[in-house]
Amino acid sequence: MINLWWLCVPAIIAGFILLKRVNGLSQSTTYIALTNPVFLAIIITALILVIFKLPYVKFNHHTQLLSWLLEPAIVALAIPLYKQFVHIRKNALLILISSILGIVNATVVGILLSVMFEVPKELAHSVAALSVTTPITLLVTDSLGGIASLAAAMVIFIGLLGALFGFIVLKWVGIFNHQAQGVAVGTACHAIGTAAALNKHARIGAYSSVAMALSALLTALIVPWLYPYLSQLLL
Amino acid sequence: MAACTLSIKVITQLILSSAIILGCLIVAKVLMHITQGSFPAPLLGMLLLLGLLLTGIIKERSVTPCASPLLNYMPLFFIPAGVGFIEHLNLISLHWQFILACLVLIPLTSLLLISHLIISFKGRSHHD
Repeated sequence: MINLWWLCVPAIIAGFILLKRVNGLSQSTTYIALTNPVFLAIIITALILVIFKLPYVKFNHHTQLLSWLLEPAIVALAIPLYKQFVHIRKNALLILISSILGIVNATVVGILLSVMFEVPKELAHSVAALSVTTPITLLVTDSLGGIASLAAAMVIFIGLLGALFGFIVLKWVGIFNHQAQGVAVGTACHAIGTAAALNKHARIGAYSSVAMALSALLTALIVPWLYPYLSQLLL
Repeated sequence: MAACTLSIKVITQLILSSAIILGCLIVAKVLMHITQGSFPAPLLGMLLLLGLLLTGIIKERSVTPCASPLLNYMPLFFIPAGVGFIEHLNLISLHWQFILACLVLIPLTSLLLISHLIISFKGRSHHD
């Protein structure tokens, strides 16, 4: 049989660029969320592997080039963080407290649900760092001994839910303040939520970007030592 | 001739910015190896670079030539890892209620807590 695995990387790149184009076709927030290129690329690739019964181990081996680039890309995340730091100064304390609250809440709710549903440890560790952008989730979840890929897929899904329903929920409970909307969506729903916030209003988007950047930094700093402590206390 | 000097300049900047980013990553990896800690090395590298930018030791423009393509295409780099959940389909189908509860309750509680915290300081109006 001819070896076609080398096609993986070019196919993913081509598919991703195509999906990005499709995503840019409409300005509607719902459309932008539902045609999110990362979400669709992961679902389509997963379907192809499952339907054609292709082993994931081999796929992973042949796409190492892409996975390897994730590490320097995470280092490069320092640049958007640095840019957002200029905006943080004005409301620094409130946004800082909000981010910490969001991160601790996500970890605590994750642990409590793990206890309620009596899930295996591996699964419990996977839902400890869900209030953060995908690349950071991958690393933190891996360091906690969870299933990094499952956490990444969940984070993307949470982002989608946030983009679709986040602002509707906030409207229901009577929250119209731009800062409250932006910081809440940026902390709870990360990149995809922030894209929806930017599409809604520039100011909400700016607050959302700041909150997302700060949450990325704080999750990396807090969750690796908070989680073992909290899980000992609650599990 | 001018075009040649220009492209040499662009290439030098690209190499220099790649060296800064890889340098941070390598220093972080070595540090984590020495201390035997469990903190993810790329995150430490990100913090190192952030520190260098905030203290002004490294200027933002000297890292952008390598950083902007990396950042623009970052989603591509976690697609292979993200697909990995298909290895755990049994676990997912066994505990789908738990996963669904996490997907809904974690962002919902965070949204409500944070937005209420901020309006308790800023008021409910559009402006702040």
